[in-house]
Amino acid sequence: MPRGMFKSGRLRKIFVKTPGSNTHVQYRQRKPSKAVCAHCKKELMGVPRELPAKMRNMPKTAKRPERPYGGVLCSACMRGVMKEKARSEE
Amino acid sequence: MSLYTVGRLCLKIAGRDAGKKCVIIENVDDSFVFVDGATRRKKVNVKHLEPLNTVLEIKEKASHEDVKAAFDKLEIEVWNKKSKKVAKRPTQVRKVASKTKDKPVSKPKKEVKKEDKKEEAKAESKVEDAVTEAPVEKKEEVKAEEATPEVKTETQEQKE
Repeated sequence: MPRGMFKSGRLRKIFVKTPGSNTHVQYRQRKPSKAVCAHCKKELMGVPRELPAKMRNMPKTAKRPERPYGGVLCSACMRGVMKEKARSEE
Repeated sequence: MSLYTVGRLCLKIAGRDAGKKCVIIENVDDSFVFVDGATRRKKVNVKHLEPLNTVLEIKEKASHEDVKAAFDKLEIEVWNKKSKKVAKRPTQVRKVASKTKDKPVSKPKKEVKKEDKKEEAKAESKVEDAVTEAPVEKKEEVKAEEATPEVKTETQEQKE
């Protein structure tokens, strides 16, 4: 029987084939949830779904799109924000 | 009549220049225009622009300097082209320069040192030879002297 800490579902299971053709269960940390647009809740493109330790070693340009509100709003919602900004100026 | 005429001030909506103001310099066709100002100077789809009320007095295909002069009156900062040229790699240049400087200075020093070392080595070797040769001869003589009396003594004892 697996240990109590492995039964809680905190860690994800990975079934690995060993050289002796047996299957062995490895427990690994679950990945964080997908990044989502703050306005329309759509999944964001260009934001990797990695553990924080990996994200820390990545360059800033690899972590989010290079535009205002990149990694927070989707491109369509960002355009809406910009249009409002332009029309409210005048 | 379209809004996107030459001199129209616009706000860029899409891409990395989004939120920055620009002026239309040239009309390519119904959907594309050339743009310059706080954004990069480039061809742009009309869908990526939001027109503003103001229209600047600018000629068609105006240069970046003319656009800059017009934007200064509105107190808008213009995208500076020259900032890109600064980002070169000075470290490589320094390394090459240091090598060239060091080489002519270091070479003659090494040669001088080598010559000195050779002379010193020769002198030392001569001294050593002299030192090594002398004791060997002496030892042999001593051995010979030691060997002969022993033999004599033995022979004397036998005789007795």
